[in-house]
Amino acid sequence: MQLPVLNDSPAHAEHGAKGGCAASSCGTTENQMDTLPDSIREKVQNHPCYSEDAHHYFARMHVAVAPACNIQCHYCNRKYDCANESRPGVVSELLTPDQAVKKTMAVAANIPQMTVLGIAGPGDPLANPERTFETFRRLSQEAPDIKLCVSTNGLALPDAVDELSKHNIDHVTITINCVDPEIGAKIYPWIFWKNKRIKGIKGAKILIEQQQKGLEMLIAKGILVKVNSVMIPGVNDQHLAEVSKVVKSKGAFLHNVMPLIAEAEHGTFYGVMGQRGPTPDELQDLQDSCSGDMNMMRHCRQCRADAVGMLGEDRGDEFTLDKIEDMEIDYAAAMEKRKVIHQAIQAEMDSKRLEKAEKAQQHKQEPKLTTRPVLMAVATSGQGVINLHFGHAKEFLIYEASPDGVRFISHRKADQYCGGDTTCGDGETTLQITIRALAGCEAVLCSKVGYEPWEQLEAAGIAPNGEHAMEPVEEAVLAVYKEMAAAGKLDAIPAAIRASA
Amino acid sequence: MAVKIIESCVNCFACEPVCPSHAIYEAKPHFLVDAKKCTECEGDFPVFQCASICPIEGAILDSFGLAINPPGSLTGIPPEKMAEAMAELQSH
Repeated sequence: MQLPVLNDSPAHAEHGAKGGCAASSCGTTENQMDTLPDSIREKVQNHPCYSEDAHHYFARMHVAVAPACNIQCHYCNRKYDCANESRPGVVSELLTPDQAVKKTMAVAANIPQMTVLGIAGPGDPLANPERTFETFRRLSQEAPDIKLCVSTNGLALPDAVDELSKHNIDHVTITINCVDPEIGAKIYPWIFWKNKRIKGIKGAKILIEQQQKGLEMLIAKGILVKVNSVMIPGVNDQHLAEVSKVVKSKGAFLHNVMPLIAEAEHGTFYGVMGQRGPTPDELQDLQDSCSGDMNMMRHCRQCRADAVGMLGEDRGDEFTLDKIEDMEIDYAAAMEKRKVIHQAIQAEMDSKRLEKAEKAQQHKQEPKLTTRPVLMAVATSGQGVINLHFGHAKEFLIYEASPDGVRFISHRKADQYCGGDTTCGDGETTLQITIRALAGCEAVLCSKVGYEPWEQLEAAGIAPNGEHAMEPVEEAVLAVYKEMAAAGKLDAIPAAIRASA
Repeated sequence: MAVKIIESCVNCFACEPVCPSHAIYEAKPHFLVDAKKCTECEGDFPVFQCASICPIEGAILDSFGLAINPPGSLTGIPPEKMAEAMAELQSH
């Protein structure tokens, strides 16, 4: 899949002229970034993993230099060598620090909107301190325009804080699934600590203490901390609101509650034992219930430890070891080009943010609707506009429209049923899977919809809508909501929605 | 007297730095133990360091050829449950 639009001239006229509210919330009070102090917003505004706004424009990559781990999690299987799975902890090629530096610079030169390099595994980056820090050390010298970040389980974090603060690293993600060792023992079967494998509650207690200590030390150093939590129904789902409160009180700036991914074929404890992940509604309810206390992140794609590109896409295949071997990179020249492109993107984002604020103001002055909220699915390939054919969407962004405005809720994966070629194998089944993934949505906004999916979508109670192609997502969602309200479609609550609530 | 790493090793590097005798080395297709150097941690630690961090059940054998981490001991997945799940997968 090609990265759309943004190549050498990021401020494409067609987008620049449209403006409007690109990402996050239009005409609503809840914007993920609005509540952040300016100093933090400044730091994250071009970080796709930390800013919902930024993830429509900027790309990220992970380099898989860190294979070793010092703990076991029940959602992880350390036999990570798989090309076809997309989830954390899975990679195809393990890299040496030298290869990682080369790959990073190759990607930065070819995907100039890549602003962030993360080390996230496939094990724990801080359980591989030499490989991880060698990579950071070299990149902060050789590619100083790339933001560096790291994700950790926290066990070795207190010992690594000093070294982390020496490099260009101003963001750290800690995965904290609990603050209660009894719950921890149901998630972490063991840790390796002070030359021993420690199982059960005792091990979980040490891990939790180290995570909290590491969090406090990072905050004291002025390093931004995001906390990731995996929502595991029946294990920690009731507990994560508490986790959210605790980490916020210590200074974490963003909480990312992610759904458990568990399938028997992954060979994980949860997968084999039949532990289920949360439904989209359960996840949304928990995120909403935490959001009173904490900035919540909803756009995470739970990427692989070697992902490359915009969130939700993976261009790793273009940058395999043998391919980067043949690439000649003039990084000084690339850096010049990157700078120009980043400034143009920033200018576009700023102008959209302004317009968004104006639209929000306008919306407030209009008479407030009293209709019920509606979920809508959107097909976009970035830039905050509706620009993707229904059949080409690998994922849909889900927005909620209500009298308070429009807010981003989540993304849902869909299988592509149409590859654009003539062979259409089991197309129909895949279309049905996609429609099932959109359960609970009452409309789907895309640039175009084919005849067959149109009929099936309508039959499933999801109104296909191709009338807002190239329009800013949130303006379009709001417009469709107002049309639905005006048409009197929002008086009764459809049975399909009730069933999924 | 030496431990042995066998083919189920996933090359995660975890054991290599914790070995007090520097007996473990990267090799293809998987990490190996230099039997001349391995002391089974005697004099350094009461437990095998490599087998205490290894995440893969059965990947490290003691000098009797027995798995130091037998099936089910690390993941908590009962071996019969794992066998069931894998059989189910293969039948598809």
